[in-house]
Amino acid sequence: MSGLFPGFLILSAAMFAIGAAGVLVRRNPLVVFMCIELMLNSANLALVTYARYTHTMAGQVFALIVIAVAASEVVVGLALITGVYRSGRRLDLDELSEMSE
Amino acid sequence: MSVVFGLAAVIAFLGALGVVLSQRTIYSAMSLVLNMVALAVLFLLLDAQFIAAVQIIVYAGAVMVLFVFIIALLSPGAEERLRSVELRLLLGGVGAVAFTLLIGRLTLNGITVGAHGRLHGALGPFSPVAVNAHGQVQTLGDQLFTTYLLPFEVTSLLLLVAAVGAVYLSRRRRQLV
Repeated sequence: MSGLFPGFLILSAAMFAIGAAGVLVRRNPLVVFMCIELMLNSANLALVTYARYTHTMAGQVFALIVIAVAASEVVVGLALITGVYRSGRRLDLDELSEMSE
Repeated sequence: MSVVFGLAAVIAFLGALGVVLSQRTIYSAMSLVLNMVALAVLFLLLDAQFIAAVQIIVYAGAVMVLFVFIIALLSPGAEERLRSVELRLLLGGVGAVAFTLLIGRLTLNGITVGAHGRLHGALGPFSPVAVNAHGQVQTLGDQLFTTYLLPFEVTSLLLLVAAVGAVYLSRRRRQLV
């Protein structure tokens, strides 16, 4: 077994943590979406790493599916953001709180 | 191989940091492109050539073009109040470091790797040598259209729903519902 296995997993964890922190910290919805992409990417890295080191194919198949899910999520999310922008509100997540009320 | 891994890992990490810390949205998007290209290199190192190609085409190509297009359309400019959230940035950084250390500790401590550096349990039939002998894309395609046919079809349904939803949401109308 290669010694790089923990390296891949730790990089994946670091990317996930950075993405999660970005989702919590940033207020621009576009940046928050990019942070979500970052988290999905880190999940992909972990999936492919395990697929490689356990000699299975399921990780790669589900990495493909995660990519498709991420693409559709971005499409719907950006449509929502443009809708919010067109209704004249500022793009600031702290001020867009009417959905929770 | 480990040199390439180190280089790509550092670039991916810096790209990830750039996404969160950039003041301008377009710089965040460019950092994300950097991160994704570095990830494609890592996928190549992991013998996942098809995933690497899809990563470049779908993510760094289609998704990021969509992002940059929306940024150009909305032109939010600089997020001027990033400095006023220094406490939140600090807390987020502490949380991120703590989470990474936790996962790293678990990984190095043998939760995922056994005593002799081997993973627990029996290895599957898809060793890199066997996969490359049959062809990486062929093997993945065989699996995708036989064992994992149901998830594949559900994904196509999801893409259809997302396309219809995006058209519905971006339709011109008086007021956003």
